[in-house]
Amino acid sequence: MRVLDIAIKDLRLMLSDKKALAIMIMMPIILTSILSFALGGTFTSEDSIGKTKIAVVKKYNIATEIEDFRYSLSNGIVSENISKSDLEKISKGVEELSIEKIFFKDFLDNKDIKEFLEYEIVREDEALKLLNSKKISAIVILPENFIYDMYTNFLTPFRNKVEIKVITHPDMNFKGRIVNGIMESFTDMTSTLIVGKNVLIETALEEDVIDKVFNNMNDVIDDITVNLSNNSPEIVYESLNGRNPISSFSYYSAAMTSMFILFSAGYGGKSLLEEKDNITYQRMIIAGVSRWKILVGKFFTILAFTLIQIFVMVTFSTFVLKANWGNIYIVTIISILAAFAVAGLGTLIAVLTYKVGNYKMTNIFESGIIQVMAFVGGSFIPIDVLPKFIRFLSNLTINGLALNSYFRIMMGYGIGEILKYLALLVLIGIGLMFISIYLFREKERYYYVERVDAENYETA
Amino acid sequence: MTLLEIRNLKKYFKNVKAVDDISFRVNKGEIFGLLGPNGAGKSTTISMISTLIKPTSGEILYKGESIVKKPSIIQKKLGVVPQDIALYPDLTGYNNLKFWGHSYGLRGKLLNKRIDEVSEIIGLKDKLKKKVNEYSGGMKRRLNIGAALLHKPELLIMDEPTVGIDPQSRNHILDTVLKLNKQGMTIIYTSHYMEEVEYVCSRISIMDNGKIIAMGTKDELIDIIKGQKKISLKFDEFSEDVVEKIKGIESVKDAYILDDEIIISTENGETIFKDIITEVSTTNSSITSIDIQKPNLETVFLHLTGKSLRD
Ligand SMILES: Nc1ncnc2c1ncn2[C@@H]1O[C@H](COP(=O)(O)OP(=O)(O)OP(=O)(O)O)[C@@H](O)[C@H]1O
Ligand SMILES: [Mg+2]
Repeated sequence: MRVLDIAIKDLRLMLSDKKALAIMIMMPIILTSILSFALGGTFTSEDSIGKTKIAVVKKYNIATEIEDFRYSLSNGIVSENISKSDLEKISKGVEELSIEKIFFKDFLDNKDIKEFLEYEIVREDEALKLLNSKKISAIVILPENFIYDMYTNFLTPFRNKVEIKVITHPDMNFKGRIVNGIMESFTDMTSTLIVGKNVLIETALEEDVIDKVFNNMNDVIDDITVNLSNNSPEIVYESLNGRNPISSFSYYSAAMTSMFILFSAGYGGKSLLEEKDNITYQRMIIAGVSRWKILVGKFFTILAFTLIQIFVMVTFSTFVLKANWGNIYIVTIISILAAFAVAGLGTLIAVLTYKVGNYKMTNIFESGIIQVMAFVGGSFIPIDVLPKFIRFLSNLTINGLALNSYFRIMMGYGIGEILKYLALLVLIGIGLMFISIYLFREKERYYYVERVDAENYETA
Repeated sequence: MTLLEIRNLKKYFKNVKAVDDISFRVNKGEIFGLLGPNGAGKSTTISMISTLIKPTSGEILYKGESIVKKPSIIQKKLGVVPQDIALYPDLTGYNNLKFWGHSYGLRGKLLNKRIDEVSEIIGLKDKLKKKVNEYSGGMKRRLNIGAALLHKPELLIMDEPTVGIDPQSRNHILDTVLKLNKQGMTIIYTSHYMEEVEYVCSRISIMDNGKIIAMGTKDELIDIIKGQKKISLKFDEFSEDVVEKIKGIESVKDAYILDDEIIISTENGETIFKDIITEVSTTNSSITSIDIQKPNLETVFLHLTGKSLRD
């Protein structure tokens, strides 16, 4: 008898077990779909749920504010500190520099931003309605005097505080963060420019060479525009992970896959004792089949079944949920090594269950240990959110290691970045296998009579 | 020619002497019966022959070589039909046979041919596509047997192959046993059904409490109680003292109540019927029938152990 014969037979048994298939193949598919839709806000990006929609509310009045700015140039503090010819240049600047163009055209319509954000300009009350009904993810409020203040900041030595308000919906926490981040990047960028300009203007005022400065004003204005269109603003989400954004579908596909492969360890863990209860184990021994072959057969069965599970999940999530797993070769390597570790775990459970002689072990594993591993390994809640200690523990769980590896490949890291996880998976697999062999090595007496009988005699 | 020899075989479990110093030989070509009540040690003996468990002491020789030291000597030559169904209920009959064929190293065309032949023998040819858990009890038993036949074993051991099945399946199995034997297969047949053992076995050993208490052909065994008769009396009603009265008759060896009958063992006394009727008439019991039973293995067992084979 070949190990392969045993594994094929065991696989046949597993695949004919409808309940097992429901738990190990259907459940992760269903759960992934549900979780991704329900918790989509946490991991969203444009490729999953579409662009983040926002409403922009203009609380300023552009016409009057430009008037006011021009007026303040000829009256009040501004005019007192700047010479007449310079004032003329500034008011020429007003014509050349359109704040609305900077914010809307150069910034929001910038092609990098446009990939994430879609905006419409609406009234405030309307915007709130849209937000409440979750038709949009955030409201960006451009405050009163936005135009006036921006001109002042850009074109005069003075600085007025400009506060762009972002209102987000609590259910769309993550999208809100993205919008916030984008707005922050806008203000950051403008203030760098403004600071630069102010230093320039201030020193210029002191040295009374304002002419020169305003000769440079055009360059400054150009700078603003160039900066906006060339350097795409940093977006919070990207800086969080540093890599590709991951859709909730991708994340939960990997998370559920990593978790549910543990169940095949539990399922396979029953099979050795089941064979004994079925007397098929004894029948194989009678036929001269080595018990080691039987054990190795179990190992490969679990390995193969785990790979089938992963294959189904990857295929389903890729084509139906549009999850993006990243480099398929690396994903294959991760999957094989994860399945290897799972098979080691399953074999150990099988040996323990066999030795103990009842299914308590597997039940504890399935109803308790898997849940803990799933939590610790980040299958329910993203590991990044969990305390550092648990993040450390996750690297000791098979699902945690698998998830971390898948996750990184999704983000576009190379295989080099996950080598340590892969090595751990291999080590865990080999370690568990060694323990299994050690425990199985001692040939106990197996009972030919029914197990129930044998138990009675033990206690008699 | 001796195929299998058992020498002073013992198997002691923690609290039980399951097999307690038994010896016997099985000749090539015979059907050897192991008859004994529940717990006699039949399955334990078989487990040792099939190398599943090691004896506490003693020797098992297959064609003169010790299989205790070298189990592989017998493993591929032996077919075992376990007392319990040892199959995969969730696989089809065909896949079960295929797997057990693999377990004996059969594959490919040869295996398919054997599956064909065997399913013919066990009469399940048109049921092979069904899953075993959809089989009836009798069909499972037959497949259980089929799985042991694929590799054409030299020695076939059947441990109570007819437990809990309908008479039709049972007859089919018994005829199969005879047919296989005719084709040259040596068989060890275990049962606690005396009729089955009588029907198929050429030599029989009777086991009880881990020991072999008698061995021989059916006729040899019955000879043990030669000259003994068993008489059963049926009554309308009978009083308790009637048994004692009957026991008092000189030629009566033993008498006891079994259900509504009184069973009497007797050394052939000439006047036995007259004596019985006389004794009974002194009580308030009235006989409705007197039956003289021919001795059989049941009687032998009863004679040897004082108890019934089935209880
Ligand atoms: N693994 C075991 N541990 C302890 N005692 C055992 C074990 N197996 C069998 N026995 C005991 O050994 C004795 C013989 O059992 P065995 O199964 O060989 O009987 P059997 O003749 O096959 O009976 P049956 O007709 O019920 O199958 C019984 O008393 C049984 O309780
Ligand atoms: Mg038995």
